[in-house]
Amino acid sequence: MSILRPDEESRVRELLDALERPVELLVAVGPQASPLGAQDLDFGAETVRVAEGLAALSGCVTVRVEHEPAGFPRFPAVSIRPEGEDVGVRYDGLPWGHELGSLIGGVLEAGKREPTLRPESREALAALDRDLALDVFVTPT
Amino acid sequence: MLLAYRCALASPRVTATAIEANEFPRLAEEMEVWAVPRIAVDGVPQWDGAVPETVFLQRILNPASG
Repeated sequence: MSILRPDEESRVRELLDALERPVELLVAVGPQASPLGAQDLDFGAETVRVAEGLAALSGCVTVRVEHEPAGFPRFPAVSIRPEGEDVGVRYDGLPWGHELGSLIGGVLEAGKREPTLRPESREALAALDRDLALDVFVTPT
Repeated sequence: MLLAYRCALASPRVTATAIEANEFPRLAEEMEVWAVPRIAVDGVPQWDGAVPETVFLQRILNPASG
């Protein structure tokens, strides 16, 4: 079953056609938190289904599933990897509802050969002399 | 979210993780997530809401110490 409505599916397919390089979605599954009222939902299996649904729309998107890989503090999670390389772009949780857009946006960004930030932003980041971890808390509604 | 992802893609020093707050309620509570998007830098909550790229860069490069 598709993860998108037919009209959304053709739009996403068009967007994914613009990918300039392959993008791998590494889905990390493992022991998951059980949010209240959702104990019966297998978030890991659903995340795999979402990732595979996206991959079905583009020859440039592939999916790999790993059980409890090192370096993942939460499950499920999706590591968005341009050309299979871990560049620190990740979605922790099941990307559904509104948040499917974040996953698709991450794939589109990862599929670009050149970063899309302004030159002055890129210069500022190039001057960083320490590591920086950005966490963005989101909700699907 | 996309700005954070763009920063991570532009710099090997930066990582960017979207975290579904409902799914990880304990962490969301620790980070005092009352509105989304809530942005944390190096594990310290910083601000809520979308901002322009220049402001985003300014805030992540010079975060309040929390």
